[in-house]
Amino acid sequence: MSLLEARNLTRLFGGLAAVNHVDLSVDEGEIVGLIGPNGAGKTTCFNLLSGFLRPTLGSIVLAGEDITGLRPHQIASRGLIRTFQLTTLFQEMTALENVLLGLHLHSDKGPRRVLFGRSAFPADEIARGREVLEFTGLVSHADQLTRNLPHGHQRVLGIAMALAARPRLLMLDEPVTGMNLDESGRVMELVKTIRGRGTTILLVEHNMRAVMGTCERIVVLNFGQKLAEGTPAEVSTSPDVIQAYLGTGVNHA
Amino acid sequence: MHRRLGVLLGLVVLAVLALLLPQFGGDYYVHIFALVFTNVILAASLRPSLTCGQLNIGHSAFMSIGAYTSALLAKNLAVPFEISLLGGALLATAVGWAIGYPSLRLRGVYFAMVTVAFVEVIRLIAQLWVPLTRGMSGLSGIPKPSVLGMTLSTRTGQYYLALVLMLATLLVLWKLEHSRLGLIWRSIGMADHLAQSLGVNIARHKLLAFMLGCFFAGIAGGFYAHFIRFLFPPEFGFLMATNILVYNYVGGRGHFVGPIVGAVFLSLLSEPFRGSPYETIFFSIAMLLTILFLPGGLITLPRKLAELRWWRTASAPTPSPAA
Repeated sequence: MSLLEARNLTRLFGGLAAVNHVDLSVDEGEIVGLIGPNGAGKTTCFNLLSGFLRPTLGSIVLAGEDITGLRPHQIASRGLIRTFQLTTLFQEMTALENVLLGLHLHSDKGPRRVLFGRSAFPADEIARGREVLEFTGLVSHADQLTRNLPHGHQRVLGIAMALAARPRLLMLDEPVTGMNLDESGRVMELVKTIRGRGTTILLVEHNMRAVMGTCERIVVLNFGQKLAEGTPAEVSTSPDVIQAYLGTGVNHA
Repeated sequence: MHRRLGVLLGLVVLAVLALLLPQFGGDYYVHIFALVFTNVILAASLRPSLTCGQLNIGHSAFMSIGAYTSALLAKNLAVPFEISLLGGALLATAVGWAIGYPSLRLRGVYFAMVTVAFVEVIRLIAQLWVPLTRGMSGLSGIPKPSVLGMTLSTRTGQYYLALVLMLATLLVLWKLEHSRLGLIWRSIGMADHLAQSLGVNIARHKLLAFMLGCFFAGIAGGFYAHFIRFLFPPEFGFLMATNILVYNYVGGRGHFVGPIVGAVFLSLLSEPFRGSPYETIFFSIAMLLTILFLPGGLITLPRKLAELRWWRTASAPTPSPAA
């Protein structure tokens, strides 16, 4: 059964169709990659699915419920959690505080807790936060300010926060950009482990190698339209895709 | 642990000083410090909204609402002080909701412009609704504050009331800032879309933080009305609103004590110019000096001084590597 089903997804910016009649579905337990050259509409697609942009046309259904037009926090509370491109984090907070915010949806926010609790966060929330950091390999940096963490760690922290929110569908926006081969390999392993624990994943990525080695199914966008869809092998040999990425050869008459 | 002990000791000393002030200061100092305490309430209550990244340049409007409401309830309807004070604060909160609900979706300078306009609207209402507020003749004859039926007729009694109100306000605000709510406010101020993506209803939390500030501004206004016993519309204008903002920036945005330090320091230092045109100049200079030399505010002064000392000792006997 498909967990996420987007039909006829379209978004206009003025006269430009950044996303143009795209159908996209993600099955429970899958890792799906969304790729395409610069400006293909990948990030717009992400923003539409997570509620940061409203679609001009089309519908989005998450686990049988129509979520088209809901606000980002409402979509998040239904189990669709996204990360951001580059390092969008709470830079002036510690790594642990970042993850504690990830726990927001599942935390005790009652006024009694807030006004009369003896500590700011109940012990079990802190324990859960540390657990997530442990799982992502960041626990030794728990009390460091985020802005002092190296780039690779910051990207992983972004994933850790999303994980803390216990997503049903985790959407990662270019998780390995700017990483070296070694780092990106480790992040991709982490992504596979997350899927192994039962979380469905939709991945936007520029780095072809990372996508090819990780995803079971790949959707290729170009100029806002779906160009191809299939297994990594099918997609990487499709002439349309090769053309979109490398351009057409010049015809010498 | 040492640090903690130091903080505790400092607080005890401050508490003793505050309690004893009426014993050795005259009525003048008691009067000044009661006003300083209301300024502390105003400055500290603006902080939640500022932490959410909302530049509110209209906080004095809510003080004005609290002041006029409480004064009129007590004067015209003989409502006891505790209830009129609460009534003023609640009306300020309700108006905060009505203003905040539509405008908190705006960000940065756009929201700031709404609050500036609002401060002027409230001032004009107080000025023009003559049958109720007496307009520019000012509202006088406001009863003195009372607690449980006992009128606090001396300046000393009123001083202690201000002290209690301030401490209660600070306690609540401190507690909230150090709870999950405080973390959420900071998260909205730092990266609101990221907070949203984690399920935080940012519109609701911004509104909540804003209304919280309105409530305590209303409390400050209510106390002020019964303490000074004369209300004059232009007092609560744009100038006072910017002053409240300046307390926060000069004191420092990085810590809970920032606005408190800023309010105490600036209200005491500006006391000689109160009500004169020099007041504006004083506050402008204080703000400029802070931006230029202490961007983190007064609370970062000790760290800054330590750095300076380090430079001096480090640069004095530098052995030259070329020799």
